[in-house]
Amino acid sequence: MTISKVLIANRGEIACRILRACREAGLATVAIYAQNDTGTIFTELADEAFLLEGDSIASTYLDQSQILEIARISGADAIHPGFGFLSERADFAQAVIDAGIQWVGPSPEAISKMGDKMTARITMRDAGVPVIPGEEIEETEEQAALMAIEQASHRVGYPLLLKASSGGGGKGMRSVDDPSQLESAALGARREAIAAFGDGRVYVERLLTGSKHVEIQVLADRHGRTIHLAERECSVQRRHQKVFEEAPCATMTEEIREAMGQAAVAAAEAVKYEGAGTVEFLLAPNGEFFFLEMNTRIQVEHPVTEMITGVDIVREQLRIAAGEPMSCPELSIRGHAIEVRLYAEDAQNNFLPAIGPLSIFKAPEGPGIRLDTGVRQGDEVTPNYDPMLAKLIVWAPNRTEALEKMRRALDEFVVLGCTTNIRFLRELCDQQEVIEGTTDTTTIDRIWPNGWTPSVTEQQKQSALVVAATAESLGLGKTKLQVSAEQNGPVSPFQIISRRFP
Amino acid sequence: MKYQFKGHDEPFSLAKEEMAELLTDGRLLVNNKIAHASKVGDTWWIHYDGHTFQFELVEPGSSATDDDSNLSAPMPGKVLELYVEVGQVVEEGETLMILEAMKMEHKIVAGKAGTVTSINFQAGDQVEQGNELLEIEEDE
Repeated sequence: MTISKVLIANRGEIACRILRACREAGLATVAIYAQNDTGTIFTELADEAFLLEGDSIASTYLDQSQILEIARISGADAIHPGFGFLSERADFAQAVIDAGIQWVGPSPEAISKMGDKMTARITMRDAGVPVIPGEEIEETEEQAALMAIEQASHRVGYPLLLKASSGGGGKGMRSVDDPSQLESAALGARREAIAAFGDGRVYVERLLTGSKHVEIQVLADRHGRTIHLAERECSVQRRHQKVFEEAPCATMTEEIREAMGQAAVAAAEAVKYEGAGTVEFLLAPNGEFFFLEMNTRIQVEHPVTEMITGVDIVREQLRIAAGEPMSCPELSIRGHAIEVRLYAEDAQNNFLPAIGPLSIFKAPEGPGIRLDTGVRQGDEVTPNYDPMLAKLIVWAPNRTEALEKMRRALDEFVVLGCTTNIRFLRELCDQQEVIEGTTDTTTIDRIWPNGWTPSVTEQQKQSALVVAATAESLGLGKTKLQVSAEQNGPVSPFQIISRRFP
Repeated sequence: MKYQFKGHDEPFSLAKEEMAELLTDGRLLVNNKIAHASKVGDTWWIHYDGHTFQFELVEPGSSATDDDSNLSAPMPGKVLELYVEVGQVVEEGETLMILEAMKMEHKIVAGKAGTVTSINFQAGDQVEQGNELLEIEEDE
């Protein structure tokens, strides 16, 4: 089955990424967007954009029947789910297939096997990969679930981690150090899981401290080829969400890469995997590794793998979905890539999400720099969606130079009007553990146990005050931004016609 | 010229020769480094030397600069919104009321933390300059 027109069932940054790949592949594109995404970049990158009716995420980006109806009306013959939203929903993948549309991703069976953490663990154990002690809580009724979690905690042991069974992205996740915190953590995890995924089931797992989070990118096509594209390290996390990712892992050895890669390929083959997927591991300081989970979709941090392997993973997804063999050659790794996630959040205040207008949004440029974003200057950051604004990715011939490039790029990055974590990321690059590559999943909490504050000098602050006072005295505050807000109406065509272009 | 920024006790005074040099597109040059400036509401967002700063401008004559517990109208106008009620505990810097005058909105901000003991005007009421709008008693 060939494909000619792809509907992207997603928004923001990843929708832009996929839309551009489709354009490059000569495929027509359909975007879907909620009212509050009107006018954002991804709606403009698509050949056609359809407004979703509804004012909640559940009634828009998660509304399967509405999305399928748009696919039917627009004549899309493939659906790419991106990440988050419906990307790991086996029932949606099945509904897409039933509608005679090509699903860009693995089979519904593979999604449910890997999406169900218990089945995934059993599958991995059978494939000979060690797994972390943990238990699935099947109870859905709150009181019963709380009791089951309490009982499981004795078998799993502390410290432990509660995760949303159908989760990802740190949502519905809580670490619990001792039994006294268990109940409130369990309630919180369930609440977030229900809100984010419509499924309150949680998974209880031992928390392995001092380990690195290392994951293997896999690709599989219908022609019997399953390969891995080496590893990414994503240890640096805050609130269980990745902020700094790199490839390759600084402490990786050829032996561990080989073993991990083989385990990941075995995992993919065990569920007859198709498309792009990621097998996540915890890598202990002694070189032992444990299976964490498999993400049956494209991942946020996929660009670092693309930079060091030269493989366009999204393009390969499209190729594989069209039934073609993947085009990647034998794995070869070149140089080093780092990605940081730019969040609209207050790093000084426990990384609380921030909102506001992007009154200035100036991204860094130059060789070896890639920016994947779904926003631009003038956009409003709202509390409606994930606060990730952009992914800044750098590539350099080696890790030291990649870090140097990242520092330079972050210094150039100017975002005003909304609080971001840019400065936090910049100072992260100066930390000894980051420089040495010895980060683990507790790095941020260990470096800044009482929270982070920027290291700003009095002289810098004084200069900034001079700028503020000068700008005020010159009347720079009467910006175009406020004017444009009043001129929301349609522009008269005559206004454009009479305009003189240089 | 003097500017009062929130969180700074002293007004910031700027002599003409100390002013940053204006470049295009919201950029200014100071100490040989290029800064970016953007005003959102009453707050100046400044990017300078890899850092981002926020300076909230307190309008001259604004109630926030008054050390007095009485909050009086800085200008004649109309009460647009009232955010508090009698007995409510408020934080320093909390917006209590919005006045409209000359088609400009003006925030009445609590100069210190305390309890609202009286409210003399409601939304929609006209006020004269100097009218006492509400009273806050400092908590012991």
